[in-house]
Amino acid sequence: MLMTDFNWRRYGLVAGTAPVVVIILVTAGLAPLIVPYSPYDLDVMVMLQGPTASHLMGTDELGRDVLSRVIHAARLSITVGLVAVLIGSFCGTIVGIIAAHFGGLVDAILMRFMDIVFCFPAILLAVILMANLGTSILNAMLAIGIIFIPGFARLTRAVAQTVQRQSFLEAAICLGMPGYRIVFREILPNVIGPVLVEAAVAFSYAVLLESALSFLGLGAQPPEPSWGNMINTGRGFIDQAPWISLAPGAALFFTVFSFNLLGDGLRDVLDPKLND
Amino acid sequence: MLRLVLIRLASFVPTLFVASVILFVAVNVVPGSAARSALGIQATPQAIMRFEHLHGLDRPMALQYVEWAAKALVGDFGKSFQNAVAVGPEIRKRVPVTLELAAIAFVVAIFISVPLGALAGFCHQRGADVVVTTLATLFGSTPSFWLATLLIYGFALQLGWLPTGGYTAFSLDPIANIKGMLMPCIALGIVSSGLLIRIMRTAVIEVMAANFIETARSKGVSNFRLVTAHVLRNAMIPFLTVGAVEFGFLVGSVVIIEDVFRIPGVGSLVLVGIINRDYPVLLAAAMSITVIVLIINLLVDLAAQMIDPRQVRTGH
Repeated sequence: MLMTDFNWRRYGLVAGTAPVVVIILVTAGLAPLIVPYSPYDLDVMVMLQGPTASHLMGTDELGRDVLSRVIHAARLSITVGLVAVLIGSFCGTIVGIIAAHFGGLVDAILMRFMDIVFCFPAILLAVILMANLGTSILNAMLAIGIIFIPGFARLTRAVAQTVQRQSFLEAAICLGMPGYRIVFREILPNVIGPVLVEAAVAFSYAVLLESALSFLGLGAQPPEPSWGNMINTGRGFIDQAPWISLAPGAALFFTVFSFNLLGDGLRDVLDPKLND
Repeated sequence: MLRLVLIRLASFVPTLFVASVILFVAVNVVPGSAARSALGIQATPQAIMRFEHLHGLDRPMALQYVEWAAKALVGDFGKSFQNAVAVGPEIRKRVPVTLELAAIAFVVAIFISVPLGALAGFCHQRGADVVVTTLATLFGSTPSFWLATLLIYGFALQLGWLPTGGYTAFSLDPIANIKGMLMPCIALGIVSSGLLIRIMRTAVIEVMAANFIETARSKGVSNFRLVTAHVLRNAMIPFLTVGAVEFGFLVGSVVIIEDVFRIPGVGSLVLVGIINRDYPVLLAAAMSITVIVLIINLLVDLAAQMIDPRQVRTGH
């Protein structure tokens, strides 16, 4: 295919961001193999040292290698993000489809409830859930996943309702297709695209929320490295050793930005208006 | 018009009720933990039972809720488990601080997002649009607490222009109040403007495609008047309604920003409540943030009905 044939407007952003996202995912996945030092190894001889050839991002207040900790934290953040988005999209899609399929009172009650949960500031809900579930990574996944349910439910319901008005669905009903087959064969395939776009954006938001929780001391517990708790620890040493919070913050920002751009790109791909 | 306002007001009550139930359940979902953290890990089962009986924690949750809600409606949020101080007055002292922070931050966000979003909307699918959209994603991807840390490092520690944190009441020292609010509001405002830019952009694009814009153009309305009187006015309605959701998000982020800048608002009180497992404090602080968000949504809905000429006409 010639470069001129390539529909840049439609596929450009995905083509540009997908490799970056893949690099982030691979780095996180291979963390134990590629880190230069153990993220937990203390070395009092090199405490609070700036970036050097042996410690590319410097060392923290206990002499641990910041780069190794940043890479290990990526693994944690991405796992939390993935699981949270899976919980949110799975439950949200079910709620949305039930609401659209049954309609009437079921729809009204479910969606009104979803609207109210949606109204809650996410971080407030996450903080309260964490305080009660207890501070652990597993609970962080659960708390963040719960927060995503209303968003996915609204989206799925909207798409499912549009599908239900199409004539091919009327045809399916007239032919006597059973309800579950309509859901799995006709509605779900149409819902997957928009849910995927929402999932990319939700994932980056999940990574942000996990970091925020860890920053407040409610997520990953030290010595387990997380971008959030590294930034928080680094604040205490920001005058002498700004790299302790700069490095994880930059990694967090870069990851979230890349996934958000990927989300934008996926939206372009799915947008029929850009289809030349 | 009045009917619409009344309907919207009536729907506020059940929303508030469900929201308070959700919060109450979320806070009380783990039984016994309040007593254990208030009395320490070595507390005997008898001591825990006595504590729970004293604070009514051993009764059914529904009963506890009704009692709490009845008192909360008149501003009585009970007493702190930690120091037996009444929570209500503390909340009333802290709510204005949080409101000031959130309001200024929202104004900052609007000042960033309205011009940028409108620019992107006017230049739809051209260079400026791509630049602004990328900038919006960039802003929205910034962790507020990290931006706050960077601002403190730059403007407080390196340059020494602003305090690293703390709060001075406006009535005591207006200059110190503004100096202290500047960095938290900028950090919150920039992060929130990410979504607001997009909302403004979409709103402008939709209005630009409307028939009445074509009509105005063919009447020979000047470009300046077209933008100010026709496009912006109409784009503000969807912008404000959808923006209210973002304001809710902003009020929520206050929890982190207040912690970073040591601002004594309700957001930092949530964390105090969590750290001390002080349920009356936590519940009151979280509830007041939720009520703020709900009231803002209500006001924005009402305001949108007032600005929208179509709804005014149906009322007459």
